Amino acid sequence: PPEKPTIIKCRSPEKETFTCWWKPGPDGGQPTNYTLLYSKEGEEQVYECPDYRTAGPNSCYFDKKHTSFWTIYNITVKATNEMGSNISDPHYVDVTYIVQPDPPVNVTLELKKTINRKPYLVLTWSPPPLADVRSGWLTLEYELRLKPEEGEEWETIFVGQQTQYKMFSLNPGKKYIVQIHCKPDHHGSWSEWTSEKYVQIPTDFRVKDM
Amino acid sequence: PICSNGSVNCQLSLRELFDRVVKLSHLVHFLSSEIFNEFNEHYGQGRHFIARAVNSCHTSTLTTPEDKEQAQQIHHEDLLNLVLGMLRSWNDPLIHLASEVQRIKEAPDTILRKAVEIEEKNKRLLEGMEKIVGRINSGEVGNEIYSQWEGLPSLQLADEDSRLSAFYNLLHCFHRDSHKIDNYLKLLKCRLIHGSNC
Repeated sequence: PPEKPTIIKCRSPEKETFTCWWKPGPDGGQPTNYTLLYSKEGEEQVYECPDYRTAGPNSCYFDKKHTSFWTIYNITVKATNEMGSNISDPHYVDVTYIVQPDPPVNVTLELKKTINRKPYLVLTWSPPPLADVRSGWLTLEYELRLKPEEGEEWETIFVGQQTQYKMFSLNPGKKYIVQIHCKPDHHGSWSEWTSEKYVQIPTDFRVKDM
Repeated sequence: PICSNGSVNCQLSLRELFDRVVKLSHLVHFLSSEIFNEFNEHYGQGRHFIARAVNSCHTSTLTTPEDKEQAQQIHHEDLLNLVLGMLRSWNDPLIHLASEVQRIKEAPDTILRKAVEIEEKNKRLLEGMEKIVGRINSGEVGNEIYSQWEGLPSLQLADEDSRLSAFYNLLHCFHRDSHKIDNYLKLLKCRLIHGSNC
């Protein structure tokens, strides 16, 4: 019979739906069928995966109707072929803890000067489109990092829930790389970083001009 | 109206009240995560407490929204009263948690302090919620929603493993419920203060 599959990851991108992926075990070259089964805390009933297609091969997608929070899902995957079948170890998931948002979008960098000619850089960004932060169901926190283009060390700054940040301490003539990522408040994991954004600080960007 | 020093009948705006309770609920849940994780690290290794904790919270009798759609469909007065009922249901167990945890053998100071801080902060959160509900329901603060906790004997069991399992269960349940409360309050704040446009 096929060896037991392994559930490798479950993720919710916006705290409304979630997907789990599994890795098949060796199947001896036999055509093998996979069935994902789950039960929910406090219920005896066992359900089958509602959607094997949306998230691609070896996956199960749980839409809003099949996604509950603050409740533990007990998930297993069964591999079956002509020689027999085998079941994965159970995987326990509370969707509250597997939220990993997409990266922020619309990152903009703008060089500005204050009334008393103090130069600074304004960074703005927007939450990932899938994330409904407007209703308050999902609250995101942000962190940005930057470093001189040829530098090694990133400077990382946690900015909380705001979607704008002003930087005053940049060196004239330097070119900087900036990235931002986000995470749900409390539980879940950081998104990937946004793609690198570059900003060239002009040479006459003297901070001592005050 | 901003409360100037010494003014007697100063009343916080609903916005300020919500700002304060959301800050408090965020902090209470943060503390509950800390104490739960620390207790689990200290006493939970290899004991599989989670298997015994599943589906055994004293508040599981309260019907709470389990996804965004349910949370958005519930009327704000019902959601406010639900949050109030959850907070009340935790008042008594948190008082006993703070006292009984002192009797756990070699309980780290940090766990003891957090248990006391959680009890105090949760009480203040309850007071804040009663103000909000009173304001929104023009003085009326219903108290029908409540779930009685009868877990004190289990926190005092002679058998250490059973007693620690009871503590784990209480912390696990409060960790879950304090997250629900925090989430619902953020939702309510966006709805009532920012017109669902946070």
